[in-house]
Amino acid sequence: MGHLSGEYLYEIFARQKREDRLEHIGTISAPNAALARAYAWQTYDEQKWFEMVVAPREAFEAVNRDEEPFTLSPAEAR
Amino acid sequence: MSAAEAAGFRTADDVPEDLRDDLASLLLSLADNKRLLGMRYAEWLLGAPTLEAGIACSAMAQDEWGHSRILYAMLKEFGRDPGQLEHEREAGQYLSIELLDEPPAEWSGLVALNFLLDTALSVQIESLKESRFEPLHYKVRKVLEEERFHFEHGRGWLARLAQTPAGLRSLDGALTPAWRSCLQWFGAPDGGLIARLSEEGISDAGPDELRARWLIRVGPIVMEAGLGLAESEDGGAWRSSADFDWSKWDSARRRSGDGALNSETLAAVRGDKNRAMLMD
Repeated sequence: MGHLSGEYLYEIFARQKREDRLEHIGTISAPNAALARAYAWQTYDEQKWFEMVVAPREAFEAVNRDEEPFTLSPAEAR
Repeated sequence: MSAAEAAGFRTADDVPEDLRDDLASLLLSLADNKRLLGMRYAEWLLGAPTLEAGIACSAMAQDEWGHSRILYAMLKEFGRDPGQLEHEREAGQYLSIELLDEPPAEWSGLVALNFLLDTALSVQIESLKESRFEPLHYKVRKVLEEERFHFEHGRGWLARLAQTPAGLRSLDGALTPAWRSCLQWFGAPDGGLIARLSEEGISDAGPDELRARWLIRVGPIVMEAGLGLAESEDGGAWRSSADFDWSKWDSARRRSGDGALNSETLAAVRGDKNRAMLMD
């Protein structure tokens, strides 16, 4: 994923029905929240979402691990 | 307007004849602008500054084409042939704003179309959500739901480009003419097509009110970006100092003078390369 300077990672969460829980569905790179919202909605458009939210990755606090939140396993990161 | 006069129109046939031409003209203007704007978005699919922006341009192009398709199809009820409208007109017959006559040279130009023009079209469309012409109600809602993300995209790129001096200069060069054109696009304050449609309850706002609604939406964001295009007034209104000469204003084409789409744009928008496939 393109990661230019001045860009931040945003984590995307969504649910299809009101009774569903929000699930982490992906990550997007954007320079600000407005673009993160636009990109998230326009990129993850295969489903009809009841709700979608985004949050900057840096807002997440690691609870039980020392490594950064959302760090992938070596296999996934390949 | 009395209650009887304000009764809704369920089909184009219910609309009085003189008003029907004005309404058809408004629908065609929105359809043409959206078709061309969609083409401009599509042209940046591969050249946008980031992959995500390219994907966004693709999504916005699809949205605009979808909207224009709906609008062209509606014109059938008004006795117009959508096939002819889409494929067989000359440049001067397009009811499109001068900003779409040729492709923007830079990304900031596309951002100007995205943020200023797309928002202007949405402001005009929003004025139809309680229209006396009832077939518009559902369609307007659907269009506006999609347009929400076009606005986010425009404001996001405006903020991004404004972060550097070079970006801000480029934005200023692109937004200054677009700003003027969009303000004028809403039409002469009195007597023109947009004023008549508002007086007849087809839309809920005349030209000056539409300009004010557009300014409230785009004004704070261009000011925050550091562009001196708009000023705020007491009471939450926004002001812009542009003065317009309406003497050569064409109220149907919503532009002054006799400029038109350039030849490449015309060939692309009406699909000249695929003419052999147009069977009927």
